[in-house]
Amino acid sequence: MRKAVWSGVATAAAVLMMSSVAFAQAASDTKTVTVTANVNAKAKLTLGSNAATFADADPDVTPLLSATAISIDIKARTSAAGNVTLTVQSGGNLVSGSDSIAINQLTWTVTGTNFAPGTMSTSAVSVGSWAGSGTPSGTQTYKLANSWSYNTGAYTATITYTLSAP
Amino acid sequence: MFRPTSVRRRLAFVLLAWSAAAPAARAAGQPATATLSATISPQASLTLSTASLVFPDADPDVLNKVPAAGGPVTINAKARATQGQAVVLTVLASSDLRSGLDVIPASNVTWTASGAGFVAGTLSATVPAQVATWTGSGLHSGSQQYFFRNVWTHPTGTYTTTLVYTLSAP
Repeated sequence: MRKAVWSGVATAAAVLMMSSVAFAQAASDTKTVTVTANVNAKAKLTLGSNAATFADADPDVTPLLSATAISIDIKARTSAAGNVTLTVQSGGNLVSGSDSIAINQLTWTVTGTNFAPGTMSTSAVSVGSWAGSGTPSGTQTYKLANSWSYNTGAYTATITYTLSAP
Repeated sequence: MFRPTSVRRRLAFVLLAWSAAAPAARAAGQPATATLSATISPQASLTLSTASLVFPDADPDVLNKVPAAGGPVTINAKARATQGQAVVLTVLASSDLRSGLDVIPASNVTWTASGAGFVAGTLSATVPAQVATWTGSGLHSGSQQYFFRNVWTHPTGTYTTTLVYTLSAP
């Protein structure tokens, strides 16, 4: 009888020990997931106006005609070392019928970080450049030299803006 | 003189009486115990519906938060825990999102959640973020929809990291 009692006590102790060991050991499971995010190059250009108009003026009073400033908003995504560029290019000289005014009479001033003033050409001219991705903005104000030698007329030219983000 | 038949009958009676009485005698004089023990230890089992998440490229002006392709991640968690103790599921990014030398902080990845005990959160590469918590043992299921913060200022690239999910049952 005594042997049976001690046996029971020992068994209970063993169960308790096993239980306490079990409770002391937390269980865990781990899983992994790979994440891939694709970020591709993008370029988006918004102009505040698609027309620049110069009003007629006396060349002696206003030797340099000025159009209303055009706002330029750029959104570009490129590599960290990439160079975002904005250029303009005229399709030709300012033309009114058979008359023309050389396109290099058209210049511009700018506001905004890394925007650049320049002179219009039939080849691409930089309006600004920026390193890396970002959303720069600024303004461009066109100026036209006002000369007595121009033939009268309504002169027009089409200018193409190109924003590039490699 | 006993006849042989009578002797056999007497012997059979004695054996029968002894066999019937012996178990009773043992039960009364020598108690036996059988201890049944079952060890219930903490257990944790985690199942995810996918082992990869892909965020496709998108125009930031159209989608400022890009959902992971393939939809939500379904999570099934089985846990056996000490009564009253919290079973916790966490996720930790092994690093920020990297593409070569370019880095996008892991905090650009967020998630919404559905299912009892699941919570929305923001990924971190330094502190495990809680995905869900429950009390005690049980089977739980829910889902996470991951989003990638899509902005113009991210450098281009294919960014990767690894998520480590950990289910703990104390």
